[in-house]
Amino acid sequence: MKHLKQLAFLIALSFITTSCDSTRTALFDSYSYQKTTEIKVEAIKIMDKAAMPYQNHKQEVEALFLEIEKLQEYEKNKPNNEITFAMWQVLSNKEKNLLAGFFKRWESKEVLSPLFIDESKKQILSALDLLIQYEINKDKESKEQLLELINLNS
Amino acid sequence: MNTNNLVQEIKEKVRLLIAESYKDFKPGLEKDLKTFLETSAEKLERWTILYANEGINEEELEWLLKSQVDLISLQALQTAGISKIKLNAFKNNILKLIFEIIISFVTKRS
Repeated sequence: MKHLKQLAFLIALSFITTSCDSTRTALFDSYSYQKTTEIKVEAIKIMDKAAMPYQNHKQEVEALFLEIEKLQEYEKNKPNNEITFAMWQVLSNKEKNLLAGFFKRWESKEVLSPLFIDESKKQILSALDLLIQYEINKDKESKEQLLELINLNS
Repeated sequence: MNTNNLVQEIKEKVRLLIAESYKDFKPGLEKDLKTFLETSAEKLERWTILYANEGINEEELEWLLKSQVDLISLQALQTAGISKIKLNAFKNNILKLIFEIIISFVTKRS
């Protein structure tokens, strides 16, 4: 009986792997989730300072982008993870008007107006929330696949 | 400031532009326009009021409009998947037109 359960578990595991390959979506990754959440919190903290001269906060911005760069590299090399990587590419592109674009503007203008900071912050938070939600949904998706397999095998 | 007519005015003028200049791309562009206006109406109205009250300047308004296009691209990436979405599908000319309509909408009423 014990062997049968182990066998069923192994079959379920192999089904999940095959199934994930076929849908081409990476599994939920707690490291990605945690790092993206940390980057979001850090980004808000720094954006709130954009009414002050950029030069005073340049090091914080650079430290934030180093973290983003590391995470992007990690996401790039994860199998079946093209969408998350593509989303990070948009966020970190200085020519786009989201996260990196905001800091580029701050650097070029030296200070930004409080109302503009509020409005652009809402845009960037929505973008980062999309990334976080996308990662969470990977977990939901893999749980659903697992439950489906358990039900099939019971 | 009453912005009730703003979204309607944008819709009509952009449709006219699509019919006149982008006939070949009409179905795709109209879909892009619909998505943009559906997800952005509230923001367009808020930014127009901020611009009219000089809370934000013209350059900042333009930046925010473009950020909305980038945000919609991200949403599309997430929901439609990478193979089905062309980033920047929403044509720059249409974005420029929306920007000009907002500017003239505010100018007309001030």
